[in-house]
Amino acid sequence: MNKIAKPAAEVDPITLQVIRGAFETIAEEMGHVLYRMSFSSIIRESQDLGAGLFDLNFNTLCESESTPMHIGSIPAYLRGIAETLEDGEWREGDVVVHNHPYYGSSHTPDLAIVVPVFLQGRLIGFAGNTAHHVDIGAATPGLIIDVPDVFAEGMLFAGTKLYRGGEPNGAIWNYIRRNSRAAQQLIADIEAQVASARLGARRFVELIERYGEETVFAAANQLMNYAERMMRQKIEAIPDGDYTAEGWLDDDGRNREQRLKVKVTVRVRGDGLEVDLTGSADQTPTAYNVPFEGSTKVAAYAAFRKLLLDTATSESRVPSNEGSFRPITVTAPLGSIYNPRFPASAEARFTQCNRMIDLIIRALAPVMPETVIAGSSASISFAAYSGVRPSGDYWVFLEVNEGAYGGRPRSDGPDSIDNLMANTRNNPLEDLAMHLPMICDRYELRDDMPAGAGEFRGGIGVVKAQRMLQPGFITHESERHTDAPWGIFGGTEGSVGRCTIRAADGTEREMPSKFSGLAVGEGEVMTYYSPNGGGYGDPLNRPALKVLDDVLDGFCSVERAREVYGVIVDTESETVDMLATEQARDRIRAAR
Amino acid sequence: MATEATRHGARIGVDVGGTNTDLVLECASGIYYHKVPTTLKNQSIGVVDGVLAICAQASLDPAEVETIVHGTTTATNITIEHNGSDCGMLTTEGFRDILHIGRHKRPTNFSLHFDVPWQSQPLVRRRNRIAVRERIAAPGGEVAVPLDEAAVRAACALFRKRELNSVVIGFMFSFLNDTHEQRAKEIVLEEMPEAYVTLSSEVAKVIREYERFSTAAMNSYVGPKTAFYLRDLEARLRGAGIRSKLRIMQSNGGISTVDACARRPIHILMSGPAGGVIGGAAEAVMAGTPNIITVDIGGTSADISTIPGGAVKVMNARDTFVSGHPVLAPMIDLVTIGAGGGSVAFIDEAGGFQVGPRSAGSEPGPACYGRGGVEPTVTDAQIVLGRLDPDMALGGSLQLDAELSRIAVDEMIAKPLGISVTEAALGIIRIINNNMALAIRSNSVARGVDPRDFSIMPFGGAGPLHGVALAEAVHARDVIVPVAPGITAAVGLLKSDLRYEHTDAVIRELTRADAGAVAQINAQAAALRDKVQAELDADGIDRAAQKIELVAECRYAGQGFELRAEMPELLTLENKAGVVASFHERHHLDYGYSYPEAEVELITLRAIGSAEARRMEAARIQTTDGSSPDRALMFSRRTTFDDGRTLQTPRYDRRRLFAGDRIEGPAILVQHDSTTLVPPGYLAEVLEHGNTRIRAIGA
Repeated sequence: MNKIAKPAAEVDPITLQVIRGAFETIAEEMGHVLYRMSFSSIIRESQDLGAGLFDLNFNTLCESESTPMHIGSIPAYLRGIAETLEDGEWREGDVVVHNHPYYGSSHTPDLAIVVPVFLQGRLIGFAGNTAHHVDIGAATPGLIIDVPDVFAEGMLFAGTKLYRGGEPNGAIWNYIRRNSRAAQQLIADIEAQVASARLGARRFVELIERYGEETVFAAANQLMNYAERMMRQKIEAIPDGDYTAEGWLDDDGRNREQRLKVKVTVRVRGDGLEVDLTGSADQTPTAYNVPFEGSTKVAAYAAFRKLLLDTATSESRVPSNEGSFRPITVTAPLGSIYNPRFPASAEARFTQCNRMIDLIIRALAPVMPETVIAGSSASISFAAYSGVRPSGDYWVFLEVNEGAYGGRPRSDGPDSIDNLMANTRNNPLEDLAMHLPMICDRYELRDDMPAGAGEFRGGIGVVKAQRMLQPGFITHESERHTDAPWGIFGGTEGSVGRCTIRAADGTEREMPSKFSGLAVGEGEVMTYYSPNGGGYGDPLNRPALKVLDDVLDGFCSVERAREVYGVIVDTESETVDMLATEQARDRIRAAR
Repeated sequence: MATEATRHGARIGVDVGGTNTDLVLECASGIYYHKVPTTLKNQSIGVVDGVLAICAQASLDPAEVETIVHGTTTATNITIEHNGSDCGMLTTEGFRDILHIGRHKRPTNFSLHFDVPWQSQPLVRRRNRIAVRERIAAPGGEVAVPLDEAAVRAACALFRKRELNSVVIGFMFSFLNDTHEQRAKEIVLEEMPEAYVTLSSEVAKVIREYERFSTAAMNSYVGPKTAFYLRDLEARLRGAGIRSKLRIMQSNGGISTVDACARRPIHILMSGPAGGVIGGAAEAVMAGTPNIITVDIGGTSADISTIPGGAVKVMNARDTFVSGHPVLAPMIDLVTIGAGGGSVAFIDEAGGFQVGPRSAGSEPGPACYGRGGVEPTVTDAQIVLGRLDPDMALGGSLQLDAELSRIAVDEMIAKPLGISVTEAALGIIRIINNNMALAIRSNSVARGVDPRDFSIMPFGGAGPLHGVALAEAVHARDVIVPVAPGITAAVGLLKSDLRYEHTDAVIRELTRADAGAVAQINAQAAALRDKVQAELDADGIDRAAQKIELVAECRYAGQGFELRAEMPELLTLENKAGVVASFHERHHLDYGYSYPEAEVELITLRAIGSAEARRMEAARIQTTDGSSPDRALMFSRRTTFDDGRTLQTPRYDRRRLFAGDRIEGPAILVQHDSTTLVPPGYLAEVLEHGNTRIRAIGA
């Protein structure tokens, strides 16, 4: 199957750097064109996308630094396309759309657009990208949770050609146009993806024309080996052993009383490791499952890039390619929540991925105390607001709400920011109000519940209240209403998340973390409170003046400063009573 | 030309860099250049010293200096050193933390220990962000909840208690209706008459709350200190007997007055690099080459800007960040990368060969400085290859130790990789050149510009060592080396126009706009023109000399990023199609694609007022008499070129070359603070002002 020209002799280290830079520039350019051109806010503002170049064995040669959930997901799509490709072969000028979760997609709304790259009539690789689309005609507008199977997820594409040999496949474009509540955005955004993929293909050929096919592919292989070597060195430094952590998910979006277990075992052996999810819950009857190839594995790889190849603490960046994944194997039994069996639905998969990463960090805490951080929100709030305009057209708006990080060995957990696998941008509230029948009433740091206390405190989550100005629907995918982010090394736990809906008459009801297609009336307000992060280290070791800062900035109450941190603050003079603080801290220590 | 300068009086350009303050003086007796060390604590001391020194050099009475144009990093440094004012902020109830949350995207994907600059170094601390009741309704802009004036006064009492004297006012939807912000300002000034106050609707009347608030907060953060610096500089100049007008270079490449910059320091955050780009553009005109890519290479970074057809481009407002904070102020479109003479070369833990972005700075500096640096830098590689003569740096006033360079390259690169010292040094140069070439590409090819139609213009002391290699890497047409590459930025200051900009939010679908909408847009445009005109009037610019241009910032309805379209003086139902067409064209140029059927939305109107400043006239040098350029030959040494060949290479004193002289590579052209490399196969041609064109022989 390997059609790649046999790699030439070693590419010298200088040429290697030159080609690496060229690869990275191409990937960034592809991502840039895609989000700048696109129409839906989920792509243009949130940048929920990925783009890159791939060889014939579906190895990632380079990938844009967009959002982590997309990075590393495209190879599984390519394998799925290989099994399902229309016409059974690639032709120059083809463009394929693909999103089938049982053929490698990350989840159905993430459409991949793939273009084959030909050099003098010969297939040499692929340029492709993925992006999250607003609506692909699923059971409920935008997002889904409580659905019976994968066929309720909307249009399923597998190796489907949008262009055949450069000619548009009119029937399929027509079909797409007729099967989405946001067809105009969907079509325009697919066009943006096509432009980006074609650009990548062109740049790929230019690169090869410049340096030669053998050299470029040899360099790509060396860069993968380099990334692999980097990852193996870091794994080697972790003591061999089995490390386990467990946590609970709220429910599957339908069966409210049934919590779902997540169990992570990290087996470190020499310079390789296994992430084993055996012991986690069985697959659910709703959409609350994780596609194994396109999401479970991708999240596990990302966990170790964050933990072991942290860009903030290492001087050289590891290239974004397949190499760093090779030392890691991922196991999840077929039929479990992390590896569902067809035809289970598997669209709402984000929070489980984030939770797995959080538990990998927790499992390794005993042997990597200076590297791990305390429990993060490890959730997401993904809300789909929709309605029907007087013209009869749908409007659909997808909003990703942020979380908070756990306290860290050298600094506090960042507040109100996208957590772990998520890294999107929020939609400007003014832009929203100018274009949709919604208005934001509140967007601030959470002040109803504190963050985990510690020498380094947990991050503070967000509170966001969105009011509907016309009747419509809301689907909300979230987590962590029951199991608070954990504290560590003496730090206290954070706070659970929360969601309420307030009717126009002021009555407020608590909502579960997930709900589907809820009809809401004019003036109803959904308020989301993200979990607060856990604390790291003993709160009594937090410098008193930092606690004073927290009190003055409203991150901590005077009472909490006294009771948990043992710091006595005078808010009038904005000072700390150092003597009383010392005594209070002694008392707390003695009482332990 | 002397008569010209006499008529207008003398002018001085002063560019303050991290290490040196560069000056250029243009007066009746000619053009003078001077360099003094930058006084880091207060740049104005070095500026005044330099001005006096350069006047003395020209035997000019300082009182005769008519204008001083100043490029300053004062405001920028405040953001880097995090020592701006403690600010108070008034904002809308429910939205206290817009500045803390930002766009909720992490600066990096794969990290647990990342820093979040807007949280760890906030422009306004949370305790000083006070939310008050008020609400403007969208999309109409009417008042939904009146301003709670008592709450504004209570906040002022708190600010007074905390001794804050800089206040930011940022309310939601103030881009639709600024009455609440204006009223709050009145109250603040009643309560705190000395306060430095910034309104978000004054600095950036555009949609998107975080970016607008951040811009206002940045203005109040750097404002008081920057205002103090500018006024102090003015006073010191007066004290030294200099009565000239003082003008400041702004980030958009235009100059402005001390008053305007003291009120809106966010417009001078990129003052430093802007001078270089304008200088480069002026050199391009002089060389008769409209399409250039400027590459300004310093010690730690390189600034790259593409200038098509002589028109300096302005960055999309979505891309203008300063120290991690978005700032909606027009800035020249340039990319800065961590590649300079001090960039460190190293082998990383997995065996990768890296150069930069870390820099050895000036302490310890490159290994050859002998100040304890043991890691090889780009400068060390140049020395190893014989391209920089260790005894000739800064005209011989800086002694460099070539042996230390060789040891550093050998120990840290050559030995670990098992290659020769020369190969290692060539590798360092090749990697750094490639990094710069990729940045050039991202600023040109990626935006639909074909570098084959462009000349590379390298400057900064080390720039001309890299020019030819960069031109080769990006397939540029040729290389133009400015007259004085070490001070091109200072020269640029004297070539800049006065320039003011104002914006207003519109947010209307153009295709559907009816007569009423068109009239409304015209009314907003007229108001903007008046604002700009008033500023030019205040500077004493004749109406006839004022130029006011209108720009329509548009996007397809539903998109998130605006591009600039041409806007007629008066919009009509007939000519609005021209605006739409101009937008489609721009979109196609930038992204390679347009949507001719889609609705086009006008988001922001911008008025740009300018008044042409008198251009500095560069002297022509003597034209060749046909004699051999050997008159400029200094000596000849062995030098290694990119193809690996080491050749006996003559050094020419650039000052002794005549216009029309042609020198075939291998050759090196030497001047006080810059070295130009002419590789074999290339020809350097001296142009009429002493500038030099280098091109491949036969090209």
